[in-house]
Amino acid sequence: MFDNYLIRHDSLKNDVEGGIVAGFSLAVRHANYRGVFLSLHAGYFLEVDGVEYPVSAQSFEINGQPPRSFEETKTAVWEHWDYDDEAILHIAAPGGLKAGLHIIRFQQCVLAAYGYLPTDEAWVATPPKPGSGAGSDKTPHIVTYELSLNDAAGA
Amino acid sequence: MKLGVSLYSYQQAQFFKELSLEDQIREVSENLPGADGIEIIDEMSLHYPDPGLAFIERWFGWMARYKTVPVTMDVGMDVLQFRDHVMSHAECAERLKRDIRLAKSLGFQNVRVLSTCPFEVMLAALPEAERLGLKLGKEVHQPMALEGRQVSEIIEYAQKTGHDLLGIVPDFGIFGTRPSEVLLAWYVRRGAREAAGDAAVELAHLLRTGRAPLDFEAVSRQTAGNLRVAFKSFVGTGLCEPELKPAFEALKRFADQRVPMASALDYVVVSEAILLSNTSPDTLRQLCPHVVSVHAKFNYMSECPGWPGEFQDIAIDYEAGIKALRDGGYAGYLNSEYEGQRYFQDRTRAEMQSEIEQVRRHQGMLRRLIAP
Repeated sequence: MFDNYLIRHDSLKNDVEGGIVAGFSLAVRHANYRGVFLSLHAGYFLEVDGVEYPVSAQSFEINGQPPRSFEETKTAVWEHWDYDDEAILHIAAPGGLKAGLHIIRFQQCVLAAYGYLPTDEAWVATPPKPGSGAGSDKTPHIVTYELSLNDAAGA
Repeated sequence: MKLGVSLYSYQQAQFFKELSLEDQIREVSENLPGADGIEIIDEMSLHYPDPGLAFIERWFGWMARYKTVPVTMDVGMDVLQFRDHVMSHAECAERLKRDIRLAKSLGFQNVRVLSTCPFEVMLAALPEAERLGLKLGKEVHQPMALEGRQVSEIIEYAQKTGHDLLGIVPDFGIFGTRPSEVLLAWYVRRGAREAAGDAAVELAHLLRTGRAPLDFEAVSRQTAGNLRVAFKSFVGTGLCEPELKPAFEALKRFADQRVPMASALDYVVVSEAILLSNTSPDTLRQLCPHVVSVHAKFNYMSECPGWPGEFQDIAIDYEAGIKALRDGGYAGYLNSEYEGQRYFQDRTRAEMQSEIEQVRRHQGMLRRLIAP
């Protein structure tokens, strides 16, 4: 749902920490009308200009907290990402992205479902890999965006 | 029958921050003649799981100002919430009890559980509903039918114990006669062929008239979303749950005969036909004493040919469903539940549907159909 609106179009920017470009970030919305318990959000399939950034390079900023890895948010079992709220997805990528347009392929991975499923036990042991289609909830296919880097930090 | 709206209908306007929760309630109150019922999905409309006391005060202020009535709160069940294990039925019942208390704190009369909620979970939470005086209704959503075990176990229990707090929430999607035209158009924009949509409409007709080349008993026990995933996987790998295999094989054959060199997406389009319930309106008439509230689901309101200003959903048999409710003596709420906005959300904002307009048209149809 909301295929073209899950990433805010003017939100792509490099993250600068201590004067060094540590990566980049995007503002994202939840594709499901009911939001989700944060523990159930398992990260993103994210590819920029053909380079895939795995969940281990991603961190997630929501509810006024500093960015957390998706290993950390797994334990946020009573914290909810509300439907109305924008979150910031940070990607660790030293040097960040270059200025100009970027092609971004994107899919949200959410383990929320309508009741018990045959995959439940398997997903406790090994959550689905974002982008594989499993756990794609209300983003059933990978969506492509063309976004411009929105700051001067890009070299 | 009384009229209301599930605020689920305004999910897109909420996403784009065009309608706040108060705006949605005001729309029901001021622009929908005769409607005063409010239904929400807790996780969508509230800061979940605890909206806070200040919000509750505001909520009751809105209900008083707009003369609206909290009717039904819809709740979810996420069995992987704790991530390190699959929730037991007892844990699911605990979540449901929390949601029942939340519903009570906002003045709701009913709590709707998902069609997939095990009966044992409902039973375990029933004492909490009883303590607080709320009804608990299981949604009957396509492709589920009114005739299956998932409904009969509730009715038998209610009849045996004389319990009137446990019942069902029929979703009008169960009276679907064909895949919605807006769903099929969405598939075409994604690359499906028109022939696949035609085949889905043909198969839906054959199923309704008892002439389809396959049996869908097993299929009706799954949710629509789960079936779409399972069939897509079957087309790709040939693998599926054994009980689904005969239906999936027959479905694939049906598609192959009508859509040469069908793509994976074409197969999915044809499979939309098996997501219809083919349930009997007369069963609904008989079950009316157990109907807690009703989701008046629709996907697209188009103008009735030759009848300017009057609208219908060509893919759902509203006349039969409403007649069944009337003949069965149902006096509760019919809550508009618009879902078709999602089939335009691959497009630009300007090309998406106006939920406000669609719900106004739908309420006009409901007023027409329930008029004495």
